[in-house]
Amino acid sequence: MDVATQILISGLTLGAVYAVSTIGLALIFGALNMLNMAQGGLLALGGYIAMWAMQAMGWPAPLAALAAMAAGSLAGGLIFVAAARPMLGGEGFETRIFIATIGIGLMLESVILKLFGPQPQAQSLKLEGGIMLGQVNLPWQNALIFGTALLMLVLVAGMLNRSRLGRAIRATSMNRDAAQLMGVPIRRIYLTILMLSGALAALSGIMISSMSGLLPNMGADPMLKAFIICVVAGLGNVPGAALTAFAIGMLEAVIQYIFGVQYAFAILLCLVIAVLIWRPQGVFGQKEVVRL
Amino acid sequence: MIRSPVRRDVVIALVLFLLMLAVPLLTGTRYVLTQLTVFFIWAVVASQWNLVLGVAGIFSLAQMALFAVGAYATAMLAYYIGLMLPAAMLLAALVTVGVSLVIGFACLRLKGPYVALLTLAIGQVMYLLVVNDTACFTTPASGCLPLFGGARGFSRFGDLGFRDLLGSKWYVGHYYTGLVLLLAAQLFCIAIIHGPLGLAFRGLRDNPGLALARGVSRMRYQLWVFGLSAFFTGLAGAFHAAHFGVVGPTAFAFAMLLFILAMIVVGGLGTTWGPLIGAALLMWADEGLREVSDWREIGIGLVLAGCVILFPKGLAGIRLRFSQGRGQRPDAPPAPPPHTKPV
Amino acid sequence: MSLLEISGLEVAYGVQRVIRGISLTIKEGEFAALVGPNGHGKTTVLRAISGLARARAGEIRLDGKALTRARPDRIVAAGIIHVPQGDLLFPGMSVLDNLRMGAYLPEAARDEARRLDEVFTLLPKLRDRQTQTASTLSGGERRMVGIGRGLMAGGRILMLDEPSLGLAPIVIDQIYELVQALAKSGRTILVVEENAIRIADMADRMHLLDNGAIAWSGTGQEFLSSPEIFATYLGG
Repeated sequence: MDVATQILISGLTLGAVYAVSTIGLALIFGALNMLNMAQGGLLALGGYIAMWAMQAMGWPAPLAALAAMAAGSLAGGLIFVAAARPMLGGEGFETRIFIATIGIGLMLESVILKLFGPQPQAQSLKLEGGIMLGQVNLPWQNALIFGTALLMLVLVAGMLNRSRLGRAIRATSMNRDAAQLMGVPIRRIYLTILMLSGALAALSGIMISSMSGLLPNMGADPMLKAFIICVVAGLGNVPGAALTAFAIGMLEAVIQYIFGVQYAFAILLCLVIAVLIWRPQGVFGQKEVVRL
Repeated sequence: MIRSPVRRDVVIALVLFLLMLAVPLLTGTRYVLTQLTVFFIWAVVASQWNLVLGVAGIFSLAQMALFAVGAYATAMLAYYIGLMLPAAMLLAALVTVGVSLVIGFACLRLKGPYVALLTLAIGQVMYLLVVNDTACFTTPASGCLPLFGGARGFSRFGDLGFRDLLGSKWYVGHYYTGLVLLLAAQLFCIAIIHGPLGLAFRGLRDNPGLALARGVSRMRYQLWVFGLSAFFTGLAGAFHAAHFGVVGPTAFAFAMLLFILAMIVVGGLGTTWGPLIGAALLMWADEGLREVSDWREIGIGLVLAGCVILFPKGLAGIRLRFSQGRGQRPDAPPAPPPHTKPV
Repeated sequence: MSLLEISGLEVAYGVQRVIRGISLTIKEGEFAALVGPNGHGKTTVLRAISGLARARAGEIRLDGKALTRARPDRIVAAGIIHVPQGDLLFPGMSVLDNLRMGAYLPEAARDEARRLDEVFTLLPKLRDRQTQTASTLSGGERRMVGIGRGLMAGGRILMLDEPSLGLAPIVIDQIYELVQALAKSGRTILVVEENAIRIADMADRMHLLDNGAIAWSGTGQEFLSSPEIFATYLGG
């Protein structure tokens, strides 16, 4: 029973962290057909900015988190303006933007490395202590992560489903040409999506670093996981991605408990490969009919 | 115009080969020759990856994993079974082909970005399995050795025999081995790009409907290119292992993957000579930047992003814009259908 | 008075000129038709007018205001509404949300309720289907949503790209009854249609597009009564 609670706590926390960064990726892919490989750099950026704001600037935690999200959304916006916009509509966009964002991510991580050094650091934005639930300790930090993530998911879902902007984003993902014919300024929508996704990545980076510490390349594994979640859900499917994130988080917690931490990622990847061979379009993806 | 692009490319390849043959006679510097040997290895990997990525349109990021398979298989065959290295290398290349076919079967039904992420994940799984395996398979004098070498990898599994043959000049032997390997790989590229497979892919890109209607099966052709190019990629990995005498998990490193991707992108995706130009240029730049090595990563990032944004067809593409070689530019826009041309 | 003026319009895909310098004018309240065989650039003309395809040369003016090479959203805001070929509905949205997307721009959005009511009066079937997801509709229903979505935008001129494409004959008749009703109510309409004979007795003016250029312009009656155009057209 206690073991189950323990697994539940760590699974839900992992799932929450994954969900926050994954929905951003799913939004970007849905609207632009773009895999943002700079996501890992954005995660690190968020973590470091929050730490820096608290350590060097002495800002309170909420302000530090906002500063990190602002920096993330700025970086996301820059990725659109500098890389995605010049090649929009060009030949081989998907391949080229993939490679370009790899380059941008590399630069981002290198700059962080130069500024903050290669040694691991602790995330300052972190709650200490916890509460005992029966025999199990629930750290406040986990509760904070879960609460914040849930709040973010509700806000994003509300924005997508209820607001005019959200309808425009969904319309753009469903049919770019048609959205333009409705008067949707799709470039502005793209910019908004990348900025939103950058802010979510920064927030997710704070959460990740509060659990495993800060490193310039801390984003690499979480980014791969986020992409895997997107792929399992079906690329571009936002609600599916959020659900899958929690499922994968739980699964990872279970695997960690049974097989040990060092095998968790490898086993997870094998499962994902199996899922994809069984359903190439993702669990929530529609089978696509190729029209010529 | 009767000038055949195949013949021209073969002639270029042979002329370059002859020039490179003469290099050890002109300069005896070990540094230059070993650098060039490493260049041959990466040029092979880049040229084969270019076939997969630029010609067949398979968005595979498994190339470094295949490279590592070639290297590991060589080391393991030599270490555990005691095979002679040349035999182990050839066998390792075949093992790589086998692994690539398994990966191909799993991935090629998927669409572009899915293939990229899945192949990246496969490489990552291999890396994690190698590094996290701590159970001792054998215990040589140096201590515990896991089946796949663990985090330390393999060393002391023999060499190509040039030390006995050439003494202190053994690296010249490696130089020529690498050069022959590159020539073979490049001739293979030319054959693929100008041959029936290249034609089929051009057809699939320019007019998928017609190509499919004529029985061109994309996946079957992709599998062919994927498997055949894995032979040379594996061989390059095998030669890398033989040249350096060690194999470790760094063979899977993402940084190396990016470095080679940058070579292809800078040189020109899908072109015959782009990957070689890119490999030469990037290795040269990398050497130059060694002094300021902490700027290296930023430099590679900038080169990757900048080239893709500014020169979508790479350096070879810029030059070819003015040339008329049709076959060299598989990524050129389709020629206008003749019947709609104004008379 | 001419509402839409196109002069010397050229569109190219790569090196291939698809539209080779066409000029035409559409008057306020006119029902115009652009006809011609498949693959001769009719859809490209509409896409160029609404900004989805880039014009390489020429000018497009609405009410004398130049719109050449403007972004599609600016062109919609200026009042050119394009109902694209094959509907291009938002498949995952309900019929209602699809219609509301039509009134995306602020000016239309302020008037959304009234326009929605108008569309439902004109197309009562959509009122019953408003909560249904667009991807589950039949071909005729999809076409109605597409046109309804265009009407929600209001605008000065409604461009319909092959509204009869892929529909059963009885549904085609219904769609063209609707188009005719819209024309009678004073809307300016530009229809692209492959089947020139079907449209000839409805349209005020016909423009025959042949190999990327306007080969002939005149009234529908002239089109039907001119044996040589008829023959050339059917022969070509």
